[in-house]
Amino acid sequence: MRKVAVVGAGLTKFVRRSLETGKELSYEASKMALDSCGLTLKDIDCVVFGSAPDAFDGMHMKGEYMLDGSGGFRKPYMRSYVGGGTGVFTPIQGWYHIASGLFDSCLVVCEEKMSTLRPHPQGAFLTIFDHTLERPLEPNLLWIFALEMNRYMHEHGLSKKDIALVSVKNKKNALDHPCALLAQEITVEDVLNSEVLAWPVQRLDVSPITDGAGALVLVSEEKAKQITDKPVWIEGVGWNLETSYWTNRDLYYPKQVEYAARMAYEMAGIKDPRKEINIVEPYDPFDYKELHHLEGLLFCKKGEAPKLTREGVTKRDGDLPVCPSGGLLGVGNPIAAAGLMKICEIFWQLRGEAGARQVPGTPKRGLAQAWGDLMQVGTVIILGR
Amino acid sequence: MGITEKINDLRDIKSWHGEMPVQYLYTYGIAGEKLFRAIKDEKKFLATKCPDCNFVYLPPRIYCQECFTNLENSWREVENKGEVHSFTIVYLDIENKPLDVPEVIALIRIKGTNGGFIHKLGEINPEKVNIGLEVKAVFKEKREGNILDIQYFKPV
Ligand SMILES: [Zn+2]
Repeated sequence: MRKVAVVGAGLTKFVRRSLETGKELSYEASKMALDSCGLTLKDIDCVVFGSAPDAFDGMHMKGEYMLDGSGGFRKPYMRSYVGGGTGVFTPIQGWYHIASGLFDSCLVVCEEKMSTLRPHPQGAFLTIFDHTLERPLEPNLLWIFALEMNRYMHEHGLSKKDIALVSVKNKKNALDHPCALLAQEITVEDVLNSEVLAWPVQRLDVSPITDGAGALVLVSEEKAKQITDKPVWIEGVGWNLETSYWTNRDLYYPKQVEYAARMAYEMAGIKDPRKEINIVEPYDPFDYKELHHLEGLLFCKKGEAPKLTREGVTKRDGDLPVCPSGGLLGVGNPIAAAGLMKICEIFWQLRGEAGARQVPGTPKRGLAQAWGDLMQVGTVIILGR
Repeated sequence: MGITEKINDLRDIKSWHGEMPVQYLYTYGIAGEKLFRAIKDEKKFLATKCPDCNFVYLPPRIYCQECFTNLENSWREVENKGEVHSFTIVYLDIENKPLDVPEVIALIRIKGTNGGFIHKLGEINPEKVNIGLEVKAVFKEKREGNILDIQYFKPV
């Protein structure tokens, strides 16, 4: 397989309700990504577009609908979709378009406009559950997170305090992100005193609905050398799916994330991720998910991620910066775009272009991960310079 | 498999009635706001033109799909006239019931643009419609800023 580099990135502001249509958001991010590496649409061989359920934008076949805003007009184009895992899976599809030798350049675009739904996206989430086993109970998406979080806490004897620290850290990191919607300085007490949504999930444990888009430019090795002195290489990719039956899963541990990570580590030749990876952007739509995923990604033993957080290891200036961007909890959660935001962050960090968010030292390697579908997919990308 | 051949109503077997209850408020976006405000306030059509490709977008877009040039400062008013690019005569409603009066639906290519609208034709005998027919927009008295502010297009 050929080497593939990321050479450009673009991200819109993440907002609660955008005037822009999904196409216009996609255009803004795509144009930014192209401009950032001095390319035009004519230099792009193919386009991959990622977005979560059609029901969010209220447009069936929204991949096709977003085509022109994403630069896919009269080009080989495909839509990528694995629910919440989409933002990291879409660049994986871009990667194999180029790694395979089929194309030399690929524009990767991820968009989500969730504010369209009335009265709330929960109405659309309802329809992802099994129609005869679960939907009659009128499930809310929060149920699944609440059950996982509770089991995770129970298994390792964790308190809500241990977990709230993640929300505090990420929202603070986001103060330095120009695209952030949810940046704020809060305390553990603020989290613990926020509205209970579905115990143990409280308002400040979770990232709300958001509109936004992001884009990347991927190219082959030969092209990368012509475009930039600072290419960032895709060193490993992985993805994996768990069963869609909740009843047959271990709720306390995301096995599919581990399998996805192992696939990516093998490709990148990584034996000890804790020593060989300098920055991590795990998927954090809920605070406990950052911990859950750090464990699944094998950065520590099961149940030990809260300790890393407590000891400050995962702070931006800690030994292993985790979500230096501010994550979904701080920057926002336009599903597919949120996952891609994490890749953008690793790209900017490795190039030393993360501004006020720049982690100390000169990081060589970073990992971004997302998670979703029926809470069952794990998607992982490792970037290096 | 095969039960559907013997059972005409699925309610005769064990089943659960489900709905997918979702509603939406779609924003018009940056380009759409301009278009529909101009229709509502001034009965005008606004288009954007790519200076590099000479392509005139109606419905307007803030970017050129061909070259990605930003068109946010490339607005122009176009006529509310055009010609029938193609048409169909519709005899059934959305639930497959016969319409009292057949409707003519056309793609109307607006003059001076590379686009136009899908809309109804009015004030015309369906048998008299032909491709190439020149038509102009008829606007509603009370306009709200949506595509139905155009009542229909009629022969010039
Ligand atoms: Zn153009």
